[in-house]
Amino acid sequence: MPPSGHSITRHMVPNAEEPDLVDLKGSKILLVDDDRLNLRILRGMLKGEDFVLAEADSAEAALALYDEFKPDLVLMDVLLPGMSGFEACRELRKRHGAHAAPLIFITAKQEAESVVEGFNAGGVDYIMKPFRQKEVVARIGTHLEIRLLSEKQRTLVDQLSRANAAKNKFLGMAAHDLRNPLASIRGLSEFLRDGTVGDLTPDQLELINLIHQASQNMVSLVNDLLDVATIEAGELKLALAPVALADIMEKSIAMSAREASRKKTVILFDQCEATPVLTLDADKIRQVVDNLLSNAVKYSPPGSTVSVGLRALPLGAHAISVRDQGKGIPEGERDRLFKDFSRLSVQPTGGEKSTGLGLAICRKIVEAHNGTIVAENLPAGGCEFRVTLPPSSTS
Amino acid sequence: MIPIGKALIIDDEPHVRKYIGLVLRSIGITTLVEAANGVEGFAAYQREKPDLVLLDVNMPIQDGIETLKQIRTFDSEAVVIMLTSLTTRQTVEEAADQGALHYIRKDTPRDELIVLLKQLLSDEPDDEESA
Repeated sequence: MPPSGHSITRHMVPNAEEPDLVDLKGSKILLVDDDRLNLRILRGMLKGEDFVLAEADSAEAALALYDEFKPDLVLMDVLLPGMSGFEACRELRKRHGAHAAPLIFITAKQEAESVVEGFNAGGVDYIMKPFRQKEVVARIGTHLEIRLLSEKQRTLVDQLSRANAAKNKFLGMAAHDLRNPLASIRGLSEFLRDGTVGDLTPDQLELINLIHQASQNMVSLVNDLLDVATIEAGELKLALAPVALADIMEKSIAMSAREASRKKTVILFDQCEATPVLTLDADKIRQVVDNLLSNAVKYSPPGSTVSVGLRALPLGAHAISVRDQGKGIPEGERDRLFKDFSRLSVQPTGGEKSTGLGLAICRKIVEAHNGTIVAENLPAGGCEFRVTLPPSSTS
Repeated sequence: MIPIGKALIIDDEPHVRKYIGLVLRSIGITTLVEAANGVEGFAAYQREKPDLVLLDVNMPIQDGIETLKQIRTFDSEAVVIMLTSLTTRQTVEEAADQGALHYIRKDTPRDELIVLLKQLLSDEPDDEESA
């Protein structure tokens, strides 16, 4: 992967159908009025529109016809013998919910106050008698269009979420089948490097070191991908247990110290006096701290000081902070910081690798604990990442 | 560390068997027996009576959990450590229920793996709590 390539997700979005060509021809409209003359007028006005029309002279008849005709839109008189138009509208909503066809009421001018009741019953619009052709056609067209577009949107969202689920499943499987062999390559190369199976010439050693380094990077990448896939598939399950937060942080600092000393960077830990015990997923929070520390070391120039803090906040919350002495977050790139596959324009200072997934994973883990993660540049240079965990983190 | 003379590695992938074998050698286990699936693995257990078994969970022919049951039924003292690639809680719980000593992820870095194995094998193998 190039060190500062574009996000690959951009190319994975399926081609959306262009939604601006909405064809209303053949739309089915159910006209409901007990006045035959009104029906005739409406029929005449809609003649040139290529709609398929059906008629009913009562609410009861309309409800019976609805299931068979499956209209895209209903035009319904308010005052009908027997069941009223409002009642029929409520009944349709009850039966079909959000899938019910949009319903436009037909009202007389003197019934202006009934407009509100019509909207309350679930109607989308009203047309006043006497009818004006342009208005009738325009209102019908508008609501048919809205319905069609929202249907398209729904289909598209469905397709996208299915595609996303498939992608996550694929990612998980690929990572799973890649990780074991990679771990073996890494482990076997370590045994070769150690001379466990015989001495190596310097040239051989150099090759083995390259194999080891490459496989190590790939294991990290695959682990990150697998984390993202698991989290996005909604399978991020927290194993909550009470743990001393300072212990997690000390372990993480001890682990990062090795890489830090390679760059002559010092990690300082300043913790609050009380040792807070919080209910959280120790492995996951450790992963977050590991990541923040590794970033701090990665992006600080050699010989820097990374300051790690643990503070008690009011009301039992706690804040973990990691400050580095790097270049900080470039102006205008802050919103990309916690997104999948996004790397900023700043580069690691020691040629280290980055997958662009670490902070996205951190954010998801912290949010699963109902916490927050923020980053800000410090006036004195460098930046601070701060994780705030609520008093009793629960999933 | 409890004395381990002989270990049996059951995994369908040769590179995993080789790698785990080298890890075991580096902690002083000299006699290694390998099997490529659960059926061969159980047969090898009966024949070789190893002091330690490293057992893969996902294998063709017969999976690790089933093989674990067979081994533990045959020998209730058997010391079995599961090898996993994806640690799901369900697998871990199943393995623990069937008396596995512990589980290790195959992608654990070598040095961590060595420390972990030394730790596990320094415990009393009959201590069910450590499973």
